[in-house]
Amino acid sequence: MISVPSAPKYLCLIRDVTVRLGVSVGFGEPVINTLKLAIDEACTNIIKHTYKGDTGKKIRIQYKITKKAFEAVIEDSGKKVNPELLQGRDLDDVRPGGLGIHFIKRAFDVVSYDETKKKGNRLKLIKYLKEE
Amino acid sequence: MDIEVTDYKGVKVITVKGDIDMYSSPALREELIVYSSKKVSVLLVDFNKVTYIDSSGIATFVEVLKHMKTYGGRLCLFGLPGGVKEIFSFSKLDKVFEICVDIEDAV
Repeated sequence: MISVPSAPKYLCLIRDVTVRLGVSVGFGEPVINTLKLAIDEACTNIIKHTYKGDTGKKIRIQYKITKKAFEAVIEDSGKKVNPELLQGRDLDDVRPGGLGIHFIKRAFDVVSYDETKKKGNRLKLIKYLKEE
Repeated sequence: MDIEVTDYKGVKVITVKGDIDMYSSPALREELIVYSSKKVSVLLVDFNKVTYIDSSGIATFVEVLKHMKTYGGRLCLFGLPGGVKEIFSFSKLDKVFEICVDIEDAV
């Protein structure tokens, strides 16, 4: 598990950890790149939307590697996110923003919020290994 | 991320090195806006040494492109590494941006 302050300068650290774990699982570079981008985007969304730029909060990421899957559970202590609003923009509607959720859904087979978490958000991301 | 500005055949070339993410994209935006605010007719961005780009970085380029289009300016990106090009392609932005192979192709 890693825990970092909610500041953009720590995103590179999260990317590095994700890449190293992806390599250890045996994913190829294209898959690792999608995982790295997706987890970065999830954390960026927390900093930007959930914490609204407050760098004094925490982001926790728990990685879990099993025989079947690569999992990342990302937690924050911010305001509850409404999962139904996480649709991203139409890719044909060219404007800044709205791409992050597309990158997340592309990389992971399961993207879900744990609604049992009382305070803050817990985003669970699962990438099954069978496709590798 | 490092940014270097040079001239090539009378055209401004912004060379970006390293990762373009939420941390570094504000500095990149600031640099690009300097030239789009001056309404330069052509702005080239050298991606050869870009190692990563996220949605914050892409949003920066979309914003600058939209501004340059308002006065008929041309923003051209060249030398995109495979992984970076794939992100533009997935986002369908390869059809929106002028993406060139190299600087000669871009000028």
